[in-house]
Amino acid sequence: MKRWGLLVLTVVLGALFVGAVGALFSWASPQSRLPVQAAEVRGTANTPKGVLPHAFLEISSWADSMAGNCHGSDGGPQPDWVTFCPTTNFQLPANALVTITVKQYDGGEKITNPFFARVHGTVGGTATLNGKPFTQIDPAKVGHTFTMHSISGEGQDSVFVSVPLQLTDDEAVANVVEFSFYTPAAGTYYWNCEFPCGDGTLAKFGGPMATQGYMAGTIAVV
Amino acid sequence: MSDTLVEPVEEAPAPEPRWWQRPETKSIFWLWLTLTIVGLCFSWVPAWLLGGSASDQMRDIEQTMTIFTAAAAPVAALVWAVIIYSLVKWRYKGDSPPPDDAPGFDTNVPTVVIWVIGSAVLTLFVFVWGLIKIADIPSAGGVAALPAGSAIPIEVQVTGQQWVWNFTYPGLGGIQSDQLYLPVDHPVTFEVTSNDVTHSFWIVQMGVKVDANPGAVTSTVVNPTTIGTFDIRCAELCGILHAAMQTQAKVVSDKDFAAWTAQMKATAPAPLPSDEGGG
Amino acid sequence: MSVTAHDEATEKSPRASVPGGALLGRMSILTAVGVGLIATIAAHYAAVAFFVEPVLPEGTDPPAALAYLLENRIALTTMFGWVVGFMIGIGALNGPFRWLLGQDLTDEDLLFQAGKDQGVKRYFRFTTDHKVVGIQYLVITMILLGAGGTLAMLIRTDLMTPETKFLGPATYNTIVGMHGIIMIIATIVMVTGPFGNFILPIMIGARDMAFPRLNALSFWLLASVVPVLLTVPFLGGMPTGWSAYNPLADQAPPGMDAFVVTIIVFAISSAVAGANITTTAVKMRTHGMTWTRTPIFVFGVVASVGLAIPVFPAFMASQVFSGLDRAGGLTFYDPSGGGSGWLYANLFWLMGHPEVYVILIPALAALLELTPVFTRRPLFSFKAAVIAIAGIVGLSVLVWAHHMYVSGWAPKLGGPFMLTTEMISIPTGLLFLVFIGTMWRGRVWTRLPMMAVYMMLWNFVIGGITGVYLSDIPVATGLHGSMFVTAHFHYTLMGAALTGTMGALVYWFPKMTGRMFDERIGGWGFWIAQIGFNVTFIGMFMVGFAGQPRRVFNYSSVFATGNFVSTMGAYTIGIGMLVFLYAIISSWRSGQVAPANPWGGKTLEWQVPTPVPLENFDVLPVITADPYGYGRQPAPKPTAGART
Repeated sequence: MKRWGLLVLTVVLGALFVGAVGALFSWASPQSRLPVQAAEVRGTANTPKGVLPHAFLEISSWADSMAGNCHGSDGGPQPDWVTFCPTTNFQLPANALVTITVKQYDGGEKITNPFFARVHGTVGGTATLNGKPFTQIDPAKVGHTFTMHSISGEGQDSVFVSVPLQLTDDEAVANVVEFSFYTPAAGTYYWNCEFPCGDGTLAKFGGPMATQGYMAGTIAVV
Repeated sequence: MSDTLVEPVEEAPAPEPRWWQRPETKSIFWLWLTLTIVGLCFSWVPAWLLGGSASDQMRDIEQTMTIFTAAAAPVAALVWAVIIYSLVKWRYKGDSPPPDDAPGFDTNVPTVVIWVIGSAVLTLFVFVWGLIKIADIPSAGGVAALPAGSAIPIEVQVTGQQWVWNFTYPGLGGIQSDQLYLPVDHPVTFEVTSNDVTHSFWIVQMGVKVDANPGAVTSTVVNPTTIGTFDIRCAELCGILHAAMQTQAKVVSDKDFAAWTAQMKATAPAPLPSDEGGG
Repeated sequence: MSVTAHDEATEKSPRASVPGGALLGRMSILTAVGVGLIATIAAHYAAVAFFVEPVLPEGTDPPAALAYLLENRIALTTMFGWVVGFMIGIGALNGPFRWLLGQDLTDEDLLFQAGKDQGVKRYFRFTTDHKVVGIQYLVITMILLGAGGTLAMLIRTDLMTPETKFLGPATYNTIVGMHGIIMIIATIVMVTGPFGNFILPIMIGARDMAFPRLNALSFWLLASVVPVLLTVPFLGGMPTGWSAYNPLADQAPPGMDAFVVTIIVFAISSAVAGANITTTAVKMRTHGMTWTRTPIFVFGVVASVGLAIPVFPAFMASQVFSGLDRAGGLTFYDPSGGGSGWLYANLFWLMGHPEVYVILIPALAALLELTPVFTRRPLFSFKAAVIAIAGIVGLSVLVWAHHMYVSGWAPKLGGPFMLTTEMISIPTGLLFLVFIGTMWRGRVWTRLPMMAVYMMLWNFVIGGITGVYLSDIPVATGLHGSMFVTAHFHYTLMGAALTGTMGALVYWFPKMTGRMFDERIGGWGFWIAQIGFNVTFIGMFMVGFAGQPRRVFNYSSVFATGNFVSTMGAYTIGIGMLVFLYAIISSWRSGQVAPANPWGGKTLEWQVPTPVPLENFDVLPVITADPYGYGRQPAPKPTAGART
């Protein structure tokens, strides 16, 4: 009897240990720690796809985490990393029209892949820069990009939206980029910046580029 | 007196049954045969799991899986037949070691020889089959060579960049896309590279896969034979969003492809004065 | 240098008021950790002073490009500092230190180092007795398997549904990489460490290994890097799998440096162990133990370490270059500086493929060793078994680029590598024949070690056949980088090798612990784990066929069912392994006391008493026959009629 009791105890303790380790990893993961910024639905829009809810999301991109001020007052664990703010995990409504406004406060350089200096996947294939519509920007003047993509599979909606965010000459004055696109069906989607600026790392795609909360994140479409 | 003493004549011992006369041989044989048939019935399953094929090379892959599974069935069946028989007929249950030893033969040279030759023959078969299929499939192993008489292939430059694929069609005015549009029944060559780390360009249902390496261009070829939408997935861990480095291959009719090409050319942004072009 | 109980007229060290000397007597894992921590802090400050301060004025921040290099230099230096401090603190350098002073360890010191009269404390010290090192390796293997298994449960939890947010991408990739390397290290040492150390010297009639101090060194080197590896999640994680592909590793946070240090030190540990084992087996077999009378287990272990010795340096080199890229700004693997990822892939797989045979062969050899005992038959065709092992070892260094079929590195070499890879199935198949032949007409005693043989055969048939699928280049073009590959290598490394190790543990448990393993509860654990294992990985084969890539934290909903099934199977494995663990612990503490030879085995370890005395044998045995004489007919009597 005692043996069986100890046996059950071993299994239960083992399961609890695994659970505790899992909870710790989950709690500490950027996925969980980052707040989720939800797009705000403000009314509807008449679109070629019918009348859809119209949601709005406002974010910004910064030359370093101190300026962005969304990683804590001291800039967080990596104060000199470029970052999007307030977070990189977003929530959008499904089957809706979403308008994203990005205030781009960072400088930039020539992008390695000019494909991402063009606008893809938005309504009308355009975006606006400080109010003026554009379909591409000078590849030598890219600050960041917003590139949203998805997993592919049968029965799975796919999405690809990519908008270049032009650099600003004065880090105190943002370039405001606005674009709209139709969200797919509910699911999890992903986005990251495609302008490599993780200096010091191979192909400059390490550091902030590869860290949620800075230049990459998930988008929950609900 | 000595001549009344007759030495007992030892009876010649009964001849040992030859191996094919032994009881276990027959039972294991029937067990083996049954399991082989079960295995052969199962041999279509891998191809079925691989799903629909959108190219000849995928069909070749599925055929190879079926043939190899069928060839493996008798081998697996033999091992499992002996295992099962031994557990049923040769079992000893007890807390102490068995009091008697079993027959102490060390080896059986003909068995070893036949086994080695048999496995060598199977290996040779599998190898030769593989070589034949490689010759059939121009893209296997990265050699991009098309059979004589093929139409001039469409060239697609595939660029992998953390964590997105983009495609450029240099022969169609340099149009670029995030999805791979292709006309059905028309060969395509892919020139694949990466802008950062090692990725792997995988069109799942077409059986196309080649790594995208930075600083190098690898190439592969396919002839899509089915209209439809197929999955392109990255097959080499490339960082945080490797799981999301996916897009679609859309195989459409020639007419639709022409329409798509025209639309892409029309909506492509005008070249900038400072635009140096290229990927 | 071997410790023999000869004359008592040994020199007494003037310091010897404590047995073994004042310093030696006090060194243990506690001093190792203490000195290690001091050295870590010292190394950290030294690194900052040496690398950072000359380059930057006080108080300024480095530019980003430089910051990355400096971060890695500091990380690498700090971790190596820990290792050096730990090894000094455990007493590994006491011998060389004495040599610097023109002395040597006295016989009394050596006996102390061998663990004489120390009770349980000897397991926490730099103890040279091979039996102690064997137990130490057993415990560290179980810790590593437990850690790796825990991570596996987390991986499968994340993959339970297509779009969980349980871990997120970065944490998931780190856990996958850590699970991989922890399990690789654990499976490399799991037979050679515990049983190669404890059992092998007794089995060949020796009193200890050839180099007892190197034996302890190899164990403590491994122990020193386990904490280093466990710091990976705290240093930003690792985005690569355990294969640590460059160029991706060149972008990685400092967690990657922990991986680099772990591999470099582990390679040294393995090389030391390998030199020890090969010398022991070649030179220290007792009188009369010719190679044809040497147990097959010895051949398996020697083959495994003999294979590891030339190939692990390739892994070490790959990581040295990676460290130089990350910390020195070199470009071995960066095309922008003339390097290539293919260099890494070749170096890695030159190790990576032989390494799976380093893992597999000792486990199979242990099962080959116990099968005659449990079937009361000679090992079928001993010579074929030896030739098969040699064939596997020889071929395994010629197949590595089958991992690179689609890499584009050398398409024209695809055919030759396909040939060598498929040829390995010939010697491997021969080993199957040896198993089956040994069972043939045997008295199959279905105790748990023998059932492990059966499960290994079931699992290895599946693992081997799926390997043949992958060896075919067109099929590999479809399946490379998918979950099919993951399922294949789990069937071979876990289904065959780990299952074999569990059987070996139950087999040698009575000799190593003095108690019988509880086969009732342990058997439940074993079978639950095996059933869970097959469910998990058959589900994984299915999603691999269907097109799910490897190492993905989320996946398309078309793979949902297979993954859910796999996860349920994985939890079953977890429960089964916990039950097995309970059986190990409860048997060790309070199991039935074991006789010296509970299985009726003929190899030498069963002819010595349990517990095994310090130097194994009172009188070294002389061997006159191989240990597989079950059922062999005695020489025929003279025929009737012959007159004497």
